[in-house]
Amino acid sequence: MTYSSERSREERRGFLDPRTKLALVLILALFVMGGLGGDQLKPIKTVLSALPFLLLLIERQWGRFARGAAMLAAGYGLLFLMPFLPGVLNYIALLCGGVLTRFVVTVVMGEYLIATTSVSEFISAMERLHMPQAITIPMSVMFRLFPTIGAEWRSIRRAMAMRGISFGGAKATQVLEYQLVPMMTSTVRIGEELSASALTRGLGGPMRRTNICRIGFRAQDCILFAGCLFVIAVWIMELCGVKLW
Amino acid sequence: MVELRNVSFRYGSKGADTVNSLSNVELRVRRGEFVLLTGPSGCGKTTVLRLINGLIPHFYPGVIEGSVTVGGKSVPERELYETAMQVGSVFQNPRSQFYNVDTTGELAFGCENRGLPEDEILERIDGTVERFGIEKLMDKNIFRLSDGEKQKIACASADVGGAEIILLDEPSANLDHETTLALRELIMLWRKQGKTIIAAEHRIAYLWDLIDRAVIMREGRIAKELGGTEKDSLTDGELSAMGLRSITQEAPDGIALPSFKSEDTAITLRDFTFFHPGAKRPTFSIPELRLAAGEITAITGANGAGKTSFLNCLCGLEKRCCGTLEYDGRHYGRRARQKLCFMVMQDTGNQLFTESVLEEVLISLPKGTANEKERAAELLKALDLEGFSERHPQSLSGGQKQRLAIACALASGRKLLLLDEPTSGLDYAHMTETADLLKSLRAMGTTILVVTHDGELIRACCGRKLCFPPDRAEP
Repeated sequence: MTYSSERSREERRGFLDPRTKLALVLILALFVMGGLGGDQLKPIKTVLSALPFLLLLIERQWGRFARGAAMLAAGYGLLFLMPFLPGVLNYIALLCGGVLTRFVVTVVMGEYLIATTSVSEFISAMERLHMPQAITIPMSVMFRLFPTIGAEWRSIRRAMAMRGISFGGAKATQVLEYQLVPMMTSTVRIGEELSASALTRGLGGPMRRTNICRIGFRAQDCILFAGCLFVIAVWIMELCGVKLW
Repeated sequence: MVELRNVSFRYGSKGADTVNSLSNVELRVRRGEFVLLTGPSGCGKTTVLRLINGLIPHFYPGVIEGSVTVGGKSVPERELYETAMQVGSVFQNPRSQFYNVDTTGELAFGCENRGLPEDEILERIDGTVERFGIEKLMDKNIFRLSDGEKQKIACASADVGGAEIILLDEPSANLDHETTLALRELIMLWRKQGKTIIAAEHRIAYLWDLIDRAVIMREGRIAKELGGTEKDSLTDGELSAMGLRSITQEAPDGIALPSFKSEDTAITLRDFTFFHPGAKRPTFSIPELRLAAGEITAITGANGAGKTSFLNCLCGLEKRCCGTLEYDGRHYGRRARQKLCFMVMQDTGNQLFTESVLEEVLISLPKGTANEKERAAELLKALDLEGFSERHPQSLSGGQKQRLAIACALASGRKLLLLDEPTSGLDYAHMTETADLLKSLRAMGTTILVVTHDGELIRACCGRKLCFPPDRAEP
């Protein structure tokens, strides 16, 4: 069967519009990670926390789901163990557990955004939000740069292991510096090559860009957006002192 | 079509006292012509390409004298995106020329930037995919492709853009023999369509018979232009006198060398199996393999066969691989192998950590070495780096970084030296230098394994050859 990009773009369309994903990241960052809102919002936050995991399952991102769930479980595990631990360990468990339970959910949501959105979809969504190119372009490069930095990081860690430089040795104080120097040089180099390549393909011209991806609001987007508005409404009412339940 | 008239160029701002990268270059390329730019590293090939695609002066600033025109329009005066419609570029490093994460988006990228209607872009993509035969690569994550596949996508992306002029900057540097031939096929397609092609390359063999003209550069000047019969009658000897690589495209598989001789002292590997994370079948599975101690063994094999992963396993850097190595009556597990092997990686910059060349060697010396400084200086001298001991390792050239890494290997006293593609992107002189260096290391008793696609390097220094993965190739 010959390849048809028309057909493939329908098949590859994501479950959510990128704008919905961005809105969800924002809401989670404010309410779950940032801890906005009081007692009335507690049950809502529980529902919100489950959302990124549900979305990962819908998009069949099993690996990411498992990793996120494990981190969250570890966080609650630490908080549960905390009262039984002596002295300093108690504090460490409290700290780690607190950080994990607060941050993991939002990080998982961010991962979901990056994993399931193509660069083209993202740019397209940002344009529909009327974001200027000066914001859209650097942000879209992030999609590409994070995995690259990850790969460089692994390669440097390997080189260090091979050269026999590791934490705990006599050179422990210098380890961080050792990691950062090649990291920065290679990130700068890759960033430069990346920009050069993008410019030779006309990025940054004054013409209105087109996008071959399919985005747009469907039922699931509307439901989730309504959810976001609901959360904000509850929060405002709480601020005004209205008792809802 | 492309015209450089009496062009001189130096990087940096006006007052800066940098040397000229190009001096008085005259180059005229007619419509539909295929011109090869070649010459030793640093001769200015890449600079010429950057002048044509407008990256100079719009991205890499500098001082240009003379005029550069494409299709009669001045490149420095025109906006970069206007030049981009006419000129498509494919770069050397397959890892850093993609803006998108998915292949389809990457193909569409140039046209999207230009604002072409969606339907036309889709149509163009389908056309390119069919002509290039890359159906299998579509809708993939670019990070999961092999280097050869990435380079195909880069070419396809230039093709979708529909540029009349294609610039290739060492596109084959990271490619194996088979993939290089596939690249050749793509270039032939463009030839047939009448595209103007300008390629900068060291490995000239795969396109020597396709080109109309070879322009040989040296120190920023055009040293010689070869066309027609003059080009066809050249011998390898005359080429190497000019500092050029061979024009015989030789499959490394065709070089007859044993992988192990009965009189060799064996380094025996057992149960080396490696799975990529999430893969169902192993990348390679080696029940037993004997390597010749004290020899230089070339490891050849296709892009994506797992050669680099094999080196990582050998060095004990892969936790998922649990094989053992037996040498000189001792068994080495994963941890022990980390102290037995030293790998010179493809990206040598990623394995140099300190602030000076001397310090880099010092941290490699075993603790308690007597006269550390003298020993380090001795090693730097042996590797032709003595004038550089205070330089920052990251500021060295590629070849110098490589030699520094080898100095560290020698300092650490490891018995097994592994090199991953040490000659990719090297010119003839540097390639022979590397070969000579490896031979002298062998004379010092080091066992060397080189992963390489470079037939010339194998001919120049290797005594043993192993086709990877070994289970398929060995009779």
